[in-house]
Amino acid sequence: MAEIKLKLKKKPSFPLEVDSITPDNFVGKTAAEIKKLEIYHGKDLVKLGDFFDVSGKSTDLKETTIIIDGDVSRAKRVGENMTGGEIIINSDVGMHVGNQMKGGKITVNGNADDWAGAMMEGGELIINGDAGHYIGSAYRGFWQGMKSGIIRVKGKVGNESMLWAKSSKPSNKWPTLYCGSAGAFLGIHNHGGTIVVEGDVDRCTGADQAWGTIVIKGKISRILPSYKKMGQVDEVELPNGEKIVGKFIEYSGDHSVNKETNGRIYIAV
Amino acid sequence: MSLENLILLTGRTINQGVALEGGKTTKENVRAAAICAFDKDDFKKLDCLAGTPVKVSTAFGEVIVYSTISEEGPHPGIIFIPMGPWSNQVVNPSTQGTGTPTFKGMKAKVEVLKNGKVLDALDLIKQLKEA
Amino acid sequence: MVEKKIKTFYDVVCPFCGTLCDDLEVDIDVKENKVIEMRNSCQIGTKKFFSSNPGSHRYLKPRIKDNGSYREVSWDEALDKAADILIKAKRPLLYGFSSTECDAQSRGVELAEILGAILDNTASVCHGPSLLAIQDVGAPLSTLGEYKNRADLVIFWGSNPVHAHPRHLGRYSEFVRGYFRTDGRNDRFIIVVDPRNTHTAQIADLYIRVNPNEDYELLNAIRATLRGTEIDEKEVSGVSKEQIQELVKILREAKFGVIFFGMGLTQTLAHHRNIDTAICLVRELNDYTKFLLCPMRGHYNVAGANQVFTWNTGYAYSIDFSRGYARYNPGEFSSVDLLMKDEVDASLIVASDPASNFPAASVKNMFKHPLISIEPHETPTSAFADVILPAAFAGIECEGTAYRMDKVPIRLRKVKDAPGECLSDKEILERLIEKVKHKLGD
Repeated sequence: MAEIKLKLKKKPSFPLEVDSITPDNFVGKTAAEIKKLEIYHGKDLVKLGDFFDVSGKSTDLKETTIIIDGDVSRAKRVGENMTGGEIIINSDVGMHVGNQMKGGKITVNGNADDWAGAMMEGGELIINGDAGHYIGSAYRGFWQGMKSGIIRVKGKVGNESMLWAKSSKPSNKWPTLYCGSAGAFLGIHNHGGTIVVEGDVDRCTGADQAWGTIVIKGKISRILPSYKKMGQVDEVELPNGEKIVGKFIEYSGDHSVNKETNGRIYIAV
Repeated sequence: MSLENLILLTGRTINQGVALEGGKTTKENVRAAAICAFDKDDFKKLDCLAGTPVKVSTAFGEVIVYSTISEEGPHPGIIFIPMGPWSNQVVNPSTQGTGTPTFKGMKAKVEVLKNGKVLDALDLIKQLKEA
Repeated sequence: MVEKKIKTFYDVVCPFCGTLCDDLEVDIDVKENKVIEMRNSCQIGTKKFFSSNPGSHRYLKPRIKDNGSYREVSWDEALDKAADILIKAKRPLLYGFSSTECDAQSRGVELAEILGAILDNTASVCHGPSLLAIQDVGAPLSTLGEYKNRADLVIFWGSNPVHAHPRHLGRYSEFVRGYFRTDGRNDRFIIVVDPRNTHTAQIADLYIRVNPNEDYELLNAIRATLRGTEIDEKEVSGVSKEQIQELVKILREAKFGVIFFGMGLTQTLAHHRNIDTAICLVRELNDYTKFLLCPMRGHYNVAGANQVFTWNTGYAYSIDFSRGYARYNPGEFSSVDLLMKDEVDASLIVASDPASNFPAASVKNMFKHPLISIEPHETPTSAFADVILPAAFAGIECEGTAYRMDKVPIRLRKVKDAPGECLSDKEILERLIEKVKHKLGD
């Protein structure tokens, strides 16, 4: 494991856009070269070294581990498009963390803002606090969002998480979100995404779900009228093969999309 | 007297539209937009005359406006303040990531005040700036 | 030859709401350059034309705030100060644009791009959610003329046109005779869905009372019922299952239905998802009959601002130029969200009044920083601005194009001259762009 350490040395007065912080961009570079990478502070194009102290280097993408210290709650786009390696963020982080990532792993030891893991295509995003809205979602105007990968949020996700998630049985790609609890419209326009919630969810879960699996171990404020109760099950098998044991009521839906559907919501008894 | 567990809606009225075109800093605008319309039966519970200033509070702020009886009822449990700087003291600024604040549907409570002054638009903003 | 003292203009377009009535008649006292009589306009349109007459609320010369009080200055000095404010800012916001004509909006885009600013219009707090929904699921739309001539079923959902679009009912949707609706009101069935029994509901054929913030569930239940699924619930959002089934029957049996929708759907929880599901319902109804929808746009040219921004940048509102190219993301680049986080350090407000229409906490942050207001008359925004640039009323004192709520472009008329030293919004923005370019050394 080759560590590259970043420490925020100056508090930004406007949001930073740091899409250059990825293992792909850092591998094979010296600390001095990494400091010269460009980032945005408001509308000013500046250097990474203007805001961060940098030390360490790595020559192998898989072995690259970037560790970020200091308050980066206003830093957006960390890990954008990365394909491998690891990033560990030891504070809250700004919007768009891990967006479009294709591989590797990001761990946020704090809260993440909106759009974390948006358009994700692979890899793992772990958030050990709460997350904002649109987690694992499609960007505006895209009708396919997260295609693969896993997002784990210990706390609560906001609204519209996993919007337009798209799985693929032939490719064995099952975009999955595990979270502690969720806001409204969880899994909206779901096209095969898998969601497991340890706690409670708000209204309109599974709205416009074409197909997919949503498991709620806590309570739902109310299930949409377009969902139909099917019966009780003792176990849920997720499309990725994982089995969840427990008593759940099985609902099919969203019947406002289709009269017959493979979409399911399971709510703990 | 006070009322709790109300839902606050905001929106356009023709009087508010006429007043805003006539000058948003006029007395006409205060009479058109610094008001809160109550359902007829809800208003009886407040036990005051129409026009008495009341304080409307939500989780997001509070404002003093003149009370009126709604012509668009019955709507028990719902109160209506026309859009404008008064209603904007108490609406939900959160957009839930969509860009548009949640101007309608806040939980509210209302209190009749013995000495309530309804501010005009400019004083309201001035107070906001100084807070 | 007797000189005409009063000139009458016919077919004048009203610059107030998205109905964009084009049949107004205006009498102008030529010598005094004043509006003296209006015909055909609603109360609000009438008031707007009269308010353009010289009076205590109109700005006649540019003003700059100095130590808490305003002094009148030359255009050059005011524009110079405005340009300095905008160039110095690191995250300036250009907002408004909905109550002016398309050429001015186009200059706004140019200025935002030069400055690397945020560019936004009032759709952001109004029908922005409708645009978000259309971007996700499309929209079956048509023009008001088609609705007037064909619709036998008209639904107002979360919209109260008696108050917000006063002549809409009389010109396009309810009380007017159409080509296939020769008996006018009697040829139409009007439904209103609203938490309050609004004045529009009071004159409708069917009023459906829905619980506040629960429109999504009701639309969802209607869609499921339409698809042939019997819902388990006895009641949804305050509406009984029987009423829902009855409503679905009415929807399916209409010859030509239209849903006009407003802030009741965009400004409640669920925002654009309310519109999303309403659009999907309308789309699905086309399996049985003809059904369309139409957003009841508030300002007379907010649709135009969306058009102009889109054909220039690719996006309709909440646009960020800080990285040298246009990016779009309501929630991240929308005015209220930015102001709530105090991320903006200077604002240029054109043809709109955010101090009145934004939530208080965002207004407070907006006024912490320099503000330039391009505005014809005093508003709570301009009353606290650092620079006031007096504008002519588009559609009264200068020509231009505006887009109606159904995106039909209509040419605005000029019926009188602007008073004092007022310039058109377009001219003001052009001069400001010149100043900014000069100072940036282009």
